[in-house]
Amino acid sequence: MWSGWSKTGTTVKQDRSCVSVVQMKCLLIASESAEVLFHWTDPEFQQNIQEQYGASQEEGQGLPAFEDSISTLFAPIIISCSTMVDRLGDNYTSFTTENNHIYVLHQFDECLYIAVNGDGEEGEDDLRRKIYVMKKMIEVMFGMVTLSSNLLRKELRPQDTDQRARLWKHLQSLLETYSHLRENDQSFLVEAVERLIHPTLCEQCIEFLERRLVQQLNSSVERAGEEVLHAFILVHTKLLAFYSSRNASTLPTSDLLALIIMAQNMYPSNVDLEDSGPEDVESTSGSGPESFYTPEPSPTDRDSSSSDKPVRGSTPVFEFVDPDIQMAEDSLRTLEVPPPDPSTPRRVFLEVSLKEGLYPMMPHSMYCLPLWPGITLVLLTKIPTTAVAMSVYTFLEAFANLEKRLSQGQEGSAATRGPPTIHDIRSKLDKFIKALGPSEIQSAQLQNVWTEFKNRAFTRGGPGFNKHLIPWCKHMKTQLCGIYRQCFLIDSGPADIPRRLSPSLQERAQTMVQEKLMDWKDFLLVKSKRNITMVSYLEDFPGLIHFICVDRSTGQMIAPSLNITERTTSELGKGPVARFIKSKVWNLVSTTRRYLQKGYSTVTLRDGDFYFCYFLWFENETGYKLEAGDIPILPDDSAPIGMLAWDYYSRKLLRYYSKNHQGEVVKCYELLTVHLGVIPTEIILQHCRQLASKLWEPSRNPLL
Amino acid sequence: MAELQPSDSGRCTYFFLYDGSKVKGEGDPTREGICYFYPEETPLDRQELLCGQLAGVGRCVSELSLSPVRVLQLRRNKFAIRMKDDFFWALGCSMDVPIVSVCELLDQLIDLFTFYNGSIRQSYQLNSQEALAARWAQYLSHLQSGSSELHHIFSCLRTIDSTNVDPLLLLKAALILQACQRCPLVLAGCILFRGRVVSTQMFPELTMKVMVHESETYTKAPRSNGQSSSSPSGGAVSSTTVFLTLSELQYLQSAPVDKDFSSHSTPHKDTVPPRKTRLSRTLSDMASTESEPSDPGSPPSPQKVSFSPDSTFSPVPSQSLEPPFSNGKHSHEAEEEALEESYYHSFHSNGGGGGGGGGDTSVFEEDSPLNGGRGDAACGTVFDFRESRSGNEESRDDEVQEEACRGGGVCGSTGDPLPPSPPPLPRSGALGDPEESPLVPMTLYMHRVKGLVLALLVELHFLSDTAATEEVYHSSLASLNGLEAHLRTISPGPPGPPGPYFFSHFDCIQSTLTTNLSGGPGGAPERPFVRATSLLHSHFCNTETLQEAIIRSAGAAVYGTRSVAQETFFQQHGASLRNSGIPNHQDSAFSLPSKARHRLLKHGVNLL
Repeated sequence: MWSGWSKTGTTVKQDRSCVSVVQMKCLLIASESAEVLFHWTDPEFQQNIQEQYGASQEEGQGLPAFEDSISTLFAPIIISCSTMVDRLGDNYTSFTTENNHIYVLHQFDECLYIAVNGDGEEGEDDLRRKIYVMKKMIEVMFGMVTLSSNLLRKELRPQDTDQRARLWKHLQSLLETYSHLRENDQSFLVEAVERLIHPTLCEQCIEFLERRLVQQLNSSVERAGEEVLHAFILVHTKLLAFYSSRNASTLPTSDLLALIIMAQNMYPSNVDLEDSGPEDVESTSGSGPESFYTPEPSPTDRDSSSSDKPVRGSTPVFEFVDPDIQMAEDSLRTLEVPPPDPSTPRRVFLEVSLKEGLYPMMPHSMYCLPLWPGITLVLLTKIPTTAVAMSVYTFLEAFANLEKRLSQGQEGSAATRGPPTIHDIRSKLDKFIKALGPSEIQSAQLQNVWTEFKNRAFTRGGPGFNKHLIPWCKHMKTQLCGIYRQCFLIDSGPADIPRRLSPSLQERAQTMVQEKLMDWKDFLLVKSKRNITMVSYLEDFPGLIHFICVDRSTGQMIAPSLNITERTTSELGKGPVARFIKSKVWNLVSTTRRYLQKGYSTVTLRDGDFYFCYFLWFENETGYKLEAGDIPILPDDSAPIGMLAWDYYSRKLLRYYSKNHQGEVVKCYELLTVHLGVIPTEIILQHCRQLASKLWEPSRNPLL
Repeated sequence: MAELQPSDSGRCTYFFLYDGSKVKGEGDPTREGICYFYPEETPLDRQELLCGQLAGVGRCVSELSLSPVRVLQLRRNKFAIRMKDDFFWALGCSMDVPIVSVCELLDQLIDLFTFYNGSIRQSYQLNSQEALAARWAQYLSHLQSGSSELHHIFSCLRTIDSTNVDPLLLLKAALILQACQRCPLVLAGCILFRGRVVSTQMFPELTMKVMVHESETYTKAPRSNGQSSSSPSGGAVSSTTVFLTLSELQYLQSAPVDKDFSSHSTPHKDTVPPRKTRLSRTLSDMASTESEPSDPGSPPSPQKVSFSPDSTFSPVPSQSLEPPFSNGKHSHEAEEEALEESYYHSFHSNGGGGGGGGGDTSVFEEDSPLNGGRGDAACGTVFDFRESRSGNEESRDDEVQEEACRGGGVCGSTGDPLPPSPPPLPRSGALGDPEESPLVPMTLYMHRVKGLVLALLVELHFLSDTAATEEVYHSSLASLNGLEAHLRTISPGPPGPPGPYFFSHFDCIQSTLTTNLSGGPGGAPERPFVRATSLLHSHFCNTETLQEAIIRSAGAAVYGTRSVAQETFFQQHGASLRNSGIPNHQDSAFSLPSKARHRLLKHGVNLL
């Protein structure tokens, strides 16, 4: 039942054939025809592949391209997957070898994801999580284009090899950033946002963002039709302040975490030098391994000055950019795309909940403005054409529903019932296509397919609504995704209209916040390493070693800092001891997730010299503790429990639990503690109770 | 698009053995490689699909990782995999079986096959696929049969319910085994009653293997497949060739066996034989046995070591098959009576005679004319065995067989001057992989008395060694009869009130399970307990440092604790299910450890 635990094997017999130890990691996305859509490998894996492939290749042309070898080697697995799906309706979820290499497979539509670990550091659950996170990042980057496998395949594997190399490099670096954060940052371990605990400063900053920054930006003419919806300040991965404008919808934790990964990827905190003074950081962080990244595909501006690689780090990036030249537009994708200029926002697709409903993957622009190394201002803006995305989504959903009903065998009016009714859709889509006409968006094909669809569906005496319409629903969806892609992934607008906050406006924003925080920056950098420390708890909670408390309703977490670098001595001691405790905490989180997945919301473990506790409970708005109810039991290969890739707590747990609490606001909390094993259980439980009731009291003010 | 449908019966949904060496070329149909497929009624194209895909993917992955695949999971089935040479085994179970248990089941299955048939490759060269398919089916159904889900989770031995049985009976069973072991040709044994272990000298894995043969002979009395029946009583004794791995053999030989007086290698043995004069001891012997071990008492003269022809060759005394006290009179007196009787029917002198030494040899010589026929019968077994494996054995096997045959053919007239201690086999010395070490043929000897079976692992030439067979047979016969009578009359009795709790206690050393669960199907109230037990057992298996755990779902809080020797799981009924889940030291879930300690004492489980 517990596949994740199979990695340590079952019998002594297993280790015999482990002749040569290959430690390797890999993540591969492949199409059904075994075409590689993306791959990330560590050097060991690459070496292993090349050796294997080199051995079987006759000399001559040298080693084939790595991409080809990897495709050849994985092809049998990929093809077997489709055979299993086609003929058995089942599919592989994982393989484990006797030397404990783990392969996890997951198919999303027509894309097969394979994640491999050969060093024993990641279990099946970790690999599955990695796959889901990868998918999430792709969704944030490509939005609804991911709904059409055909289009997504083209996006992930551009024909142009340089372009492909740049895109893959960017995705690889995102994945590495994520892996690094998951292995080292508690907030990415439990997938909740950690905020800096300094109520006064936080409040001041929020007020500043609201009254000064956002207001000023949104009233400027240089904003080019964009509207700042959210603004937040990150100190490393921790949130100092977050402000959402009044007409913005809540930013889901999942999206916020993904954005933090992207920001970290652009301006990585150099963790190895974490404990050096801020001055040291300044001189090193600009030369991080991922100091150059390419947003791809994104508006492809060209200008002469940006052909230099942008240098990030201590110097504000905008100095390199001449705003006037910056305006020049050239969206011919066939041309060599120069490295982008840093003031170009990233296009991100985020969930928006409005009165009308939930709209996933709505286009936004993300401006990541470095204030100092380690401190970043992020602005999220709504772009002027959001309405198009909402329409496209409405149509996509309508056709998806229709397709679903038709494939269930429903016909005629049973298949077309709304809301919205197919007739609504028909008139809206007619208008939509008409409106697209004069723009530069190529909508002729959509027009054709729609005409054909209408002929089949609505013509009297025609085939009508039955299963023969299913392929046409698919065609419509593909066409709509194509429109969406043109609108939001390719910058095809009129060349003379600026399509982002002007660089000078960005620079102004940056300077404003820099001025505001100038006196605080050193404090903030230190604070982010020592947000709260165990010292303050030792007296009240003797024997307590560590805890993590998570408010799943707001997606926030509180935990004492775990510093494991050699140079610092924390309460946990240095180096090895701290690392040991860190590994215990990491294990505890994955263990309790497995129990939660199987419906267990309370877990206590006596393990070695430690006593671990995990509690999950529900409260209503007033803090009244609700009775523990049934928790869904999920299959082994279900989406990972967390909030980043897929919000288990709001999508699954609360939805399930709220069935018996209709109309009530249900909040969900989690507490993990690590105690010394010698402490009597009653005392430990008392500690847990005190932590659970007290932790949130001083900071009841909502984060978002 | 058909779906993989897990069948309801048993926990195994698929099992197959695929021989990749038969499907090398492009044109070779996959079906050529399928050695066995369960369920057998699976359409051939489905069989081909599964074998082809799984074996193909398995090979691809193992090439990438330079290591054989061990586990292969699908959305609705999980497969334990074994890849060896060109063979590919896959055992599929439904998703709710822990993967550790699936792997264990597959290992057991393959080990069972090897135990009874020798190496896989040779078996398939020598036997028809159909015959071997029947074997696989038999082993599979044996492993899946009967017992509860808990038994499957722990892969434990089925034992008699010791709470109902007089401990003296268990002691008696142990003594019977010890007595048999006095014969140096006997390595170890176990006593089974109606498919459950009463007492065993073997380690659990081996006992489990032996039990398959027992259940087979139990279900179809006259065996047909090459196994011999060479009993003085006609049919009650049977034997079959089995194959032990070297590590198993070494393990058995390293077990402390009290063979003092039969161990001829010690020079002073002849001068100082122990006082024990019988292979079979009665319970009344007990005290003295333990208080004066191998006391150099008056040495019985070797001349006395001889069979009484009467007791040896008279047909098995019928009254000993029908216990004298069968009609209600079963007391300890009666038991001892029976044992005494068995004593009189067995040897009157040094039971260690079978072990050899000058005097013993003379005994064999004396006996040889009498039991020539028997010797032939025994040889027949060996020849059978030879035929079935002709020409393919490793030279080692040949040697062993020749030795055995010589012993059988000559039937002690020349005898082996030395006891057949297992030949020193060339071996790297590392214990572990049973498959890569050569297999050592042995004989599994079984003596059945109704529901009771004495199973002994003996040297190959034991059967041809008439003296030894006689000795073992007769020394144990009466005791077995007595034991059988007692065990038979023990009514399972009403299980008693199960108590306001569930528990299961797994002894990792003996691989036995004690539980108060009914184990019957449809035990809905037990489901949460079984589920939690299965999760916790997996967790224990994979986290060596984990000592105890409490896990709570909405329906049940289960406590699990383990030490090196045991795993215990406990759930209290009717504990207040109404709780908020917030930490609370008054929560009943956290009193489970102390409740378990108190409640389980009366089940003989000591958690203190």
